[in-house]
Amino acid sequence: MSTSLAEKIDFKMKEPKNLSPRVQWLRDYYFQGVKRAWNNEFTSWSTGTPWDLQYQEMTYYIVPEVYMLIDTLNGSYHQAAKNIKLHEDFWIWSLVERRAWFIKEVMVNYVPQEILPGDLLAGSRFNIIASMCFTKKEREEYDRRTKGKNGARTKVFWFHNHGYGNTGATSGHLIPGYDRVLTYGWKAIYEDLQSRYLDLPNDEKKSKKGAQLRAMITASTMAKELADKYAKLCRQIADQEKNTQRKQELLQMAKNLSRIPWEPARNFWEAVQSLWLTHMLVMSDENYPGPGVSFGRIDQYLLPFWSQSESEGMDREFAKEILKCFWVHCNTAYDAMIKNGHQGITAGFGQLITLSGMGKDGKDLTNDLTYMILEVIDEMTPILEPKPNVRLHRNSPDKLLDTVVDMISSSQGAPFLLNFDERSMAGMLLESRTSHIPHLINDTNVHDYAPVGCLENTMQGNDRSGTVDNNLNLLKAVELALTGGKDLIPFIDPMTGKAEKIKQDGPATGNAEHFKTFDEFWEAYETQTKYIIKKCVDIYELSESVRAELFPTPYLSCLVKGCAEKRLDVTQGGAEISFTTLEAVTFATTVDSLLAINYLVFDKKACTMSALVQALKDNWKGHEMLQAMAKSKAPKYGRDDDKADAMAKKAMDLWCTETWKHKTRSTKRQFRPGMLSWNYWAGDGYIMAASADGRMKGQFLSNAICPSNGADIHGPTSNANSVGKALGGKSKDEKGDWQEYFNCLPNGASHTMTFNPSIIKDPEHKEKFKAFLKGYCENGGTALQINMLDPSILRDAQKKPQDYRHLLVRITGYNAYFTTIGKELQNEVIERLSHSKF
Amino acid sequence: MTKDTKQATILEIQRMSTEDGPGIRTTVFFKGCPLKCSWCHNPESISPYPQIQWIESKCIGCSTCIKTCPEKALLLNGTGIHIDRSICNTCGACVDACPSTAMEWIGLKWTLDDLVNEVIKDRAYFEKSGGGITLSGGEPTMQADFAGQLLQRLRGLGIHTALDTCGVCSKNSLEKLLPYSSMVLFDLKEIDPDNHITFTGSKLDPVLENLIFTAQFMKSHIYPQTLWIRTPLIPDATARKENIRGIGQFISSHLRSTVARWELCAFNNLCKDKYIRLGLHWPFKDKELLQKSVIDELTEVARRSGVNPDIVHWSGVARLEPPDVNKVSKAS
Repeated sequence: MSTSLAEKIDFKMKEPKNLSPRVQWLRDYYFQGVKRAWNNEFTSWSTGTPWDLQYQEMTYYIVPEVYMLIDTLNGSYHQAAKNIKLHEDFWIWSLVERRAWFIKEVMVNYVPQEILPGDLLAGSRFNIIASMCFTKKEREEYDRRTKGKNGARTKVFWFHNHGYGNTGATSGHLIPGYDRVLTYGWKAIYEDLQSRYLDLPNDEKKSKKGAQLRAMITASTMAKELADKYAKLCRQIADQEKNTQRKQELLQMAKNLSRIPWEPARNFWEAVQSLWLTHMLVMSDENYPGPGVSFGRIDQYLLPFWSQSESEGMDREFAKEILKCFWVHCNTAYDAMIKNGHQGITAGFGQLITLSGMGKDGKDLTNDLTYMILEVIDEMTPILEPKPNVRLHRNSPDKLLDTVVDMISSSQGAPFLLNFDERSMAGMLLESRTSHIPHLINDTNVHDYAPVGCLENTMQGNDRSGTVDNNLNLLKAVELALTGGKDLIPFIDPMTGKAEKIKQDGPATGNAEHFKTFDEFWEAYETQTKYIIKKCVDIYELSESVRAELFPTPYLSCLVKGCAEKRLDVTQGGAEISFTTLEAVTFATTVDSLLAINYLVFDKKACTMSALVQALKDNWKGHEMLQAMAKSKAPKYGRDDDKADAMAKKAMDLWCTETWKHKTRSTKRQFRPGMLSWNYWAGDGYIMAASADGRMKGQFLSNAICPSNGADIHGPTSNANSVGKALGGKSKDEKGDWQEYFNCLPNGASHTMTFNPSIIKDPEHKEKFKAFLKGYCENGGTALQINMLDPSILRDAQKKPQDYRHLLVRITGYNAYFTTIGKELQNEVIERLSHSKF
Repeated sequence: MTKDTKQATILEIQRMSTEDGPGIRTTVFFKGCPLKCSWCHNPESISPYPQIQWIESKCIGCSTCIKTCPEKALLLNGTGIHIDRSICNTCGACVDACPSTAMEWIGLKWTLDDLVNEVIKDRAYFEKSGGGITLSGGEPTMQADFAGQLLQRLRGLGIHTALDTCGVCSKNSLEKLLPYSSMVLFDLKEIDPDNHITFTGSKLDPVLENLIFTAQFMKSHIYPQTLWIRTPLIPDATARKENIRGIGQFISSHLRSTVARWELCAFNNLCKDKYIRLGLHWPFKDKELLQKSVIDELTEVARRSGVNPDIVHWSGVARLEPPDVNKVSKAS
């Protein structure tokens, strides 16, 4: 038998390297955190009315950690807000025009402009909490529709407290059309909006459509006006600069800024500067720093600019230096709540960049810039933003794979996510086929898809698909099928300690004790699944419709194709491709529970249904033998066991089919399925009752499409094969959605695997690991997060957090500093690692 | 030995194995071994029959197994469940009844069809890595008819196959397996005939004869195409310079152009618990892993023994040593 390696490989934490004094200083300064004199924390701005609102709570409905803080945050931002001197016509304008003007006024004329020492890019402060510019009536409307008895807040709290999950119209999570700004400049966007406005008949000019275009016209000059301010600042600093080299840099920056982003960029420095200013203002526009506001295929659209600069003699290392400044800028998004600590929402913003991937006809598009950016990542790591996602496919070059594996082996796991093109593209084409948009996504352009946030696949520049908006615990349907539509255990209010009365919330699918076959149970499960999806859709509608009416983002709308054409804000479904995604959580726990019910009650007849329900009510206490059977003897998803995986596919097909049936009423956005599950699988484990797979209340649920913790006992290949099968596998001929591939989740599915570092201990094993990635491309899922950690280093980090501030771990595809995540999550990461047997 | 060729007793199927031949492999461990190596890392593989073991970490202490056993072969004492193997007739009632899989089969019967379907699941990974399926053990030649058919089926599917053998078997058995083995991993543990008997309980001559037979077979047949030699480095046993030198001399004089790789497999102690579970004494239980310096020295001896130095590799793990402490020499 081969040697099973449980040795502790004594590896060192990844250190940044090859940083110039400039970048080293900027990076060190950034990591000083709260001790910094300069930071980019939220500043709050008001119209000065007593009813003013700064904090848009609905965007945080998907962050249950902040539920208890909403009113406090609301109040404190309002208290801290500085008043803006309003334009004399302000209150005559429509809401969207008020908002466009207000954001621009704040960013250009109120928020200070600064340049950090040595920085090669301008654009520092952007984290603002700006007034929603409501009239008194609009504020009252908003309060009624959020806090009222049937309001969005009331309903979503209920949804979460009862273990269904969470849902809310959330900001970010798209790829704005940055390439358009770089290539044509904001000027082109402005001129296009102008001509569209002039083309409107007079009555439409007075309508909402006219107001939307006027607001977007206002927004479209914001970046230019801010760039002018920064250009002036650069000149001022240059005047006093004694170092001639730095003086030259500042003068060049001033030159750049007086051109871009209004004009097309002409070279690499201009392009990166234009990209940064344009991007940071999206975050300002949304009152939220960078939640999944992603860059897309940056190594493709920046390439012409790099080629130009290279031909003009720009030093490769200097180009990397510009990129490294860009990296530091992206990280300052975290400053928003720098004084409230690092918990929860600040743990992963997900300004995602996409590297490499397929082009037309399966041709690989890896280029020199891809490698330059990978070098930048390698030299800056560990650092959180921007998050990289490297796209792999059958024709990915060996050189790229070698680089990827080398970077994995020298970091604490992959410093990037991996996306797999064939499987991902099959899902995008399914989405196109199902919702009849072949003119927008088809065989000739699907290769230009790119993930947002972590791994959520969308198209670029014309697509907002609400990739984190709906997070549904599929397991709730199993619970309701066992009880005939009632909560298994009562919700206990944490403030009052009072238990809520259990009600008939779901359909009355009958007493499960009377089911004679598993098929009868399945029928009840199916009914309850339909119910929980409908419930999610209905509650989402509450926040979606309020956002559509009251929270326009006119600046962002300028950058999303479809908004100008339809004269609709992106929040109103203006994007050409406008889905909203239902992200299923607890998939493996659900499948394993279904398998356990079948095994215990119907197959082995180890207990009656009523005994099982009682065991779950008792949280398995006093039912340890039954629990052991559920845990150890019942089949599980994730072992490449065809029978168990068939149950996974059946459960998958059910909820996916149901999801496609729904659209938002207010904005006509089609629901599409995905599996992300962020950190809910941890937190909701404390809310959801014990489950039939043997899990107790308080233990974690399964994460996204991963097998339940500890279930994948047959190693990484069987784990990956199960994931691929659950997504639809492959067709025997070429009749998949992309070649022979199927993928029922267009959004993609988060898959995390932890490897023992010994898997890449020498060149021979690195080759084997490369081959594993190629095999994953054939058999696995859409996206893979690789963790490669030593438990001892993590235990030490638990004891001495102060020594490990840079230590990154990756959970569900989002990166977090290990010392900033909760103890339970830390223990979970350690446990996973300790159990890996390679 | 059972002549039942429809079923084989398989100890374990290990997927994504990276240590049993080229590429990513699925290794099938056959149960039953003719050798009794004193250091054996897989004592549960020696008996050709399915056995039952108790895994302490999985046990929830419900005593169901004791109540279930029709032979009263189970006993709960201070250290846990004790299996009286003189009474146990391996009926498996306790395994079926145990709710937590703490009572576990060592070895399961597999039919050829089921086994083929199971082991080809990682085909995509084999193809991308130049890997395939390795038959190991125990000793696959002890179930030669089944193993031969398995290899034949896999070769028919175009899958790379490897036979990992200790070399103690009849030529007849070898002939059933070699034509369908893309490669052979041949264990040559000890070159001194007396030591070989002492360490393994078996004579050296048949091993050497079969090794030469295999090399000759390769010359006259299309398959196997590749031969690797594997030598375990066991402290106070095979990890001696003269042994390594002797094996190297044998390779260079008899198998010069045939051996593509000679792998020195460093001793590991992870099997300690297996012995405890089987109620067996393991003379190596207190042995430390080899020091890196010792492994390097033996590797160097191998490289200078007359073989092509490029074929020499070592695998496994060395003792963890604090890097900054002054070297304390320890005899090994």
